[in-house]
Amino acid sequence: MFKNSIKKAATLAMVAGLSVAASLGAAKAEYPEKPITMVIPLGAGGSHDLNARVITSIIPTYLGQPMIVRLTPGAGGQKGTNEVANAPADGYTLLFTHNYIDMLQQHVENLPYDPKADFRTVARINYAPIAVIVRSDSPYMTMEDLVAASKANPGGVQMAHSGNWGALFVPAAQMMKALDISWNLVPYQGGGPALQALLGGDADVTMGFPSSIASHLDAGTIRVLATAGAERIYDDVPTFAEVGVPGDVGFMHRVVLAPAATPDAVIEKLGAAFKALESDKTFTRMMGRLGENIEIIDAADYEKMRVEQDAAYKELVKTLTSQ
Amino acid sequence: MLDQFIEGFGMAMRLDTFMMMSFGLFGGMLVGALPGFTTLMAMAILLPISFFLDPIVGIPFLLGIYKGGIFGGSIPAILISMPGTGAAVATSRDGYKLTQQGKSRKALDMALFASVLGDTSSDIFTILMIFPIAFLVMQFGPPELFAVLLLSLVIIAATSGSSPLKSLVMMMLGLWLSFIGTDPLGGVERFTFGLFDLKSGIPLLPMLIGVFAIPEIANVVMRNEKAKHLSSLMGKRLSKAEFRRCFRTICRSTVIGTAIGIVPGLGQVVAAMMGYSAAKNASDHPETFGEGELEGVAAAEAANNAVNGPTMVPLLTLGIPGDNVTAILLGAFVAQGLRPGPQLFEEQGATVFAILVAMVFANLLFLVIGYLSIPFFSRLVTIKVSILIPVVIMFAFAGAYVFRSDSVDLLMLVVFGIFGIVVRVAKFDVMPMVMGFILGPPMEYAFGQTVAMTNGNAFGFFFGERWGALSILLAIPVIGILLWRRMRAIPTG
Repeated sequence: MFKNSIKKAATLAMVAGLSVAASLGAAKAEYPEKPITMVIPLGAGGSHDLNARVITSIIPTYLGQPMIVRLTPGAGGQKGTNEVANAPADGYTLLFTHNYIDMLQQHVENLPYDPKADFRTVARINYAPIAVIVRSDSPYMTMEDLVAASKANPGGVQMAHSGNWGALFVPAAQMMKALDISWNLVPYQGGGPALQALLGGDADVTMGFPSSIASHLDAGTIRVLATAGAERIYDDVPTFAEVGVPGDVGFMHRVVLAPAATPDAVIEKLGAAFKALESDKTFTRMMGRLGENIEIIDAADYEKMRVEQDAAYKELVKTLTSQ
Repeated sequence: MLDQFIEGFGMAMRLDTFMMMSFGLFGGMLVGALPGFTTLMAMAILLPISFFLDPIVGIPFLLGIYKGGIFGGSIPAILISMPGTGAAVATSRDGYKLTQQGKSRKALDMALFASVLGDTSSDIFTILMIFPIAFLVMQFGPPELFAVLLLSLVIIAATSGSSPLKSLVMMMLGLWLSFIGTDPLGGVERFTFGLFDLKSGIPLLPMLIGVFAIPEIANVVMRNEKAKHLSSLMGKRLSKAEFRRCFRTICRSTVIGTAIGIVPGLGQVVAAMMGYSAAKNASDHPETFGEGELEGVAAAEAANNAVNGPTMVPLLTLGIPGDNVTAILLGAFVAQGLRPGPQLFEEQGATVFAILVAMVFANLLFLVIGYLSIPFFSRLVTIKVSILIPVVIMFAFAGAYVFRSDSVDLLMLVVFGIFGIVVRVAKFDVMPMVMGFILGPPMEYAFGQTVAMTNGNAFGFFFGERWGALSILLAIPVIGILLWRRMRAIPTG
């Protein structure tokens, strides 16, 4: 296995070297003829950062050019997104974002860009389904217990989330809307601190992605009450659909976008390279270790999902802010 | 557990581990020394390398970058008054004065010894007490964090300058500056005047370089020091007597830094300032602090490095990273198939101990690497002033820009530079402002969380449920007044 990695690294170095030589030699070369920058509108060390590090260390094999990660956090993801919206549409600047920044923020704030008109999809890389969790000594044994308690005492259940309109807040809000319950939503600076608040007893319930709660689940410190989607992730835990929260709720889609005017040929080339990752052994092994799935969706199909997200989030924000 | 530790100890004794660690330490030091480049960036970029290495090689490599980087940050702070992070601000205060007195080598040596001692002791303490620390970490929630941050601000205001009133004014200004941008809890824009560039707030780095480095440059240029002497000396190395004199301070700061490291969400900035304030308060010659006191450098550096050990605890025992650096380490652990969390020690005890042991050895290794590198760094100040000043100006602008690659930051740098020159003439100290600016947002956040947790009844909450936080809050005025009285007695120099 170690030998394999060395081989891979050597190939990478060779590809990088060759491509530099090629770009120096022939100026007419087709896309991509220089390194591609992938902007992440989020901070270092988050799941996007980690996913991107894996992607960018493998994808040069399929593109023949290096891909460079640039972290541009700020203004809840708007800074980096705005940068790409205004970047030349030549395929050398891409955005690695998620559905909440992409489609939800436009309904909450005035953005300096228009996510629908300024971007087009390159590919969806993967998704993370959220799980509702409580401490293992919690009185809520099932989702029904939690819903009943929330109904009996509106606002009395403390729910720790990772920031307003973030990956835990939105599914919680959607759940509250679908089940007609009300939680006291307390913000924490990220999913980690929210989990810590649950474990420390400051919160009664929170949510988490399977990759980040796995060790606690094995250790028996937490209990999962429900998981996003219609298919069960854990055999004995009901899905959101089963507990009465159907639809595209609680999925964080990690998606690569490009400025809207990027030519079709470039999008196809990039799309093919991302698609090729699916069958790359090193890539699947490394993503597996991170606890992430690889479920590439191509540009056309994800565009349809964006339209649905747009409508759903618009509706959600309207109900939440009108109260 | 002991046999796991012994097994781990043996696993860590590998030549390639030590080689990659040295490489990381040296590289981290270089990156940390360049203003604008953060250790965090270096770690994020080099993270994929660790994916392809053995866990006992790859993770110590990343830890090396981290440790080298923290010390690297104190190099420009000491030599050209350009702290690249909040953690280096306190070091810069006395460190740069020492450089001006021609003692830059002593200052860098002191910073190195204090860092290594602080870090090593806190790492060993962490290895021995990992589970008790893990228990303590869980006792801190937003109300406690709010109380501790408020206490820190009061201590800083009371001990920093000769006039606590001026310090308070500057701190309020810093707090206000931290309010500019999008409110972290409600998402409401404050004081942005609709400008998108202000939406994510004022960036820290241009402010740090602006208020600390630019006035120093202006100072040299305006006095035309070139006429007096062409360059400063780097001076002698630190003597044993000087080290012994600062030993008590280093020990005190190590304890303070380790304790602060246990509280999630506080970090190096608070540790450095508390270590510095405590040293000044305990000293029988507090008036020398801020005027080139070796103890000041020792106090700040020992404290901010002692934070490192305990911050690893939530990462290892809960799988929860406390800051961005530990978040990257979490990625490295996970990519290696090690899952930090409650079962890490049961499943991979030996490997984890091997990494922790390597962490201790990284400090000792760094003592050698740093000691050998310091003469090269301190040579910088022996350059002719007519060349050094343009170089420093270039570093200032490049550093402010490269951090976010945003041209607005250059404007910020100039504005804060002019502001720094003006307040210096008016004899105001900028440190409380910077500390208010850095500690304001986490304090506000913690307060907002407390209010959210209680549906608005924070007052009753403190009295009814949070005795720890309440007692800290009640102690604040007492500590503040005691310190103020003591500091007023200092003759102003």
